[in-house]
Amino acid sequence: MIRDLEKITKSLSNEESPSWFSDLRAQGFSRFNELGIPTVKDEEWKYTSLLALAKHAFDIAKAGQCAEAEALKNYRSDKDINIVFINGLLSEEFSDFNNIPIGITVSTIRDAMISNAPQIREQLTKYAISDDTAFIALNQAVHDASIYVQIDEKASCNKLIHIIHVTSPGHKNLAVMPRTLIAAGRSSETTILESHIAFSDTFTYFTNALTDIFLSENATLHYCKSQKESLKAFHIGHTRVWQDRDSNFDGFSFMAGSKLTRNDLDITLNGEGANTTLNALYSVYNDQHVDNHTSVDHRVPNCTSNQLYKGILNNRARAVFNGKVFVQPIAQKTSSYQLNKNLLLGTDCRIDTKPQLEIFADDVKCTHGATIGQLAKDEMFYLQTRCIPKKAATRMLAHGFVNDLFSTIKNTAIREKLDRLMEPSFEALQ
Amino acid sequence: MFEIRDLHVKVGRTPILKGINLSINPGEVHAIMGPNGSGKSTLAKVIAGHPDYEVTKGEIIYEINFKKVNILDLEPEERAREGIFMAFQYPVEIPGVNTSVFLRAAFNEICKHQGAEEMDPIDFDEYLRKKMEFLEMDDKFITRPVNVDFSGGEKKRNEILQMAVLNPRISVLDETDSGLDIDSMRIVADGVNKLKNKENAILLITHYQRLLNHIVPDFVHILRHGRIIRSEGKELALEVEEKGYDWLS
Repeated sequence: MIRDLEKITKSLSNEESPSWFSDLRAQGFSRFNELGIPTVKDEEWKYTSLLALAKHAFDIAKAGQCAEAEALKNYRSDKDINIVFINGLLSEEFSDFNNIPIGITVSTIRDAMISNAPQIREQLTKYAISDDTAFIALNQAVHDASIYVQIDEKASCNKLIHIIHVTSPGHKNLAVMPRTLIAAGRSSETTILESHIAFSDTFTYFTNALTDIFLSENATLHYCKSQKESLKAFHIGHTRVWQDRDSNFDGFSFMAGSKLTRNDLDITLNGEGANTTLNALYSVYNDQHVDNHTSVDHRVPNCTSNQLYKGILNNRARAVFNGKVFVQPIAQKTSSYQLNKNLLLGTDCRIDTKPQLEIFADDVKCTHGATIGQLAKDEMFYLQTRCIPKKAATRMLAHGFVNDLFSTIKNTAIREKLDRLMEPSFEALQ
Repeated sequence: MFEIRDLHVKVGRTPILKGINLSINPGEVHAIMGPNGSGKSTLAKVIAGHPDYEVTKGEIIYEINFKKVNILDLEPEERAREGIFMAFQYPVEIPGVNTSVFLRAAFNEICKHQGAEEMDPIDFDEYLRKKMEFLEMDDKFITRPVNVDFSGGEKKRNEILQMAVLNPRISVLDETDSGLDIDSMRIVADGVNKLKNKENAILLITHYQRLLNHIVPDFVHILRHGRIIRSEGKELALEVEEKGYDWLS
């Protein structure tokens, strides 16, 4: 699937990097080879076939140039702090490294290893590679677009930190492997948007992204992942969040692009009083396929988790939702809410949804559920009697379906960007 | 201006309307009264174009640009754009759709249809506020999603606000009085009376006479078993209130 994977892994493990780091790459490489690409026989991949991905041969990017510089300039805003990767390579030109506020450090992981080795090492080795995470192993072997964001204790930043991974045509069948580390210090508060984006829908590539987030005691992070890749691209992404005591993760996932998307979000609640919110919107049409997996692990008492995943499917699109909530034996007084709501607008679209609860404690409040529906006929008729034709009414009701979800995003800069990214899938509504 | 001719309507296999004839001219207020199940609401929905009702016979003739058109051939939104309005008995809640956004979209559809320039949000806001003022409505109506968490009375007032914004030529008010307390009824009725003029017409569908004390009809029609069995002046409503429907045959 990836050309010259072994050679690339070795060349990345050069003399400049510490031996433990090279070991991690080697370990990722051998683990990926052992595991191979998952098949639908694997329970975690039951409804998402990777055959189309496996038949391509991808090259890891070596040069980063954006053919659509204007579109990129439009998407980024000078009001934000932008960190831009083009085809997996950091772009000094489009990034704002001179503009980082006091209390926040942004650097490549390579640079951070020199200045902050022990912490980076701890964070990069926090999770063992389990059996169902071949793509994490692959990312560990050859990640290149790697960025480290560290927020100091008590630091707070009003500006949006926007990490943009843009893939641009030019090279055939590129593979990009973004790796992001975010460490939020005690009592800090920041807002980060991570975008995976392309400005053309006609070229094939493969994104395999891995983001790790660590929230120290009482830290708050508003984090949004937005994905609008080319409609011929493959996007596989994994976000892992580790939360200490009283920390607050306010997360949103937006999935509207790519031919095939798999988006995993794993939360570990490891300190009492931690809160986590996982909201998401996926909006797909034609032959798109989007698969969202979430996992929330309540390891300690008195934590709350709230998740609302909403999907709009049109034409022949398919979606998968699998959400697991684990409540460990000591995690008493857990409060957990999980809901997946789907709006099916096409005649041939399909959703496989599976909310799951595994509770091993007895004093908890947990609810979960899923709904699948179509536009309400009486709402449609009402709008028509108010002069609004069917097509516009469909769009209005679909907007209505997502509006209450979007209103949970407090940062208006993020909302505006998502509104723009969502427009093409609304345009496609009949 | 508006004429129903020998209208027969079925829902599924059940015939509901069995030959309705009714003619309405500009400036007139007509009231249709009748017991439960007589077909009152069916008539309102058929006029608006509800897809669940099957017209098996008859036509509804309406004058569009001095031409007589059978509106049964038009989609609900086409009828609405030509000035046919129905106030719902049970206004529909639309979560996530902001009321002022919805109203502006509706208003601009009419502008587009008439070849006029669409109104921008700022101008529309001003236009909307004037309408709200005379209906004694406050901001909460337009900042919230359409009808969501509105009381029964608020929903009905919202219907009249829509009537005011869209400025229809014929308004069918389907049981607009049901579920209203006396104050809300007065506000709604005052609103309708202010909107009434020589150019437009109103068809009130009601179960009770009390609304007709506030909006005085020129004609009262009694609908029973899918037919209009009597048409007279406003006194008929009082008679029905006193004696019920059974004495009519």
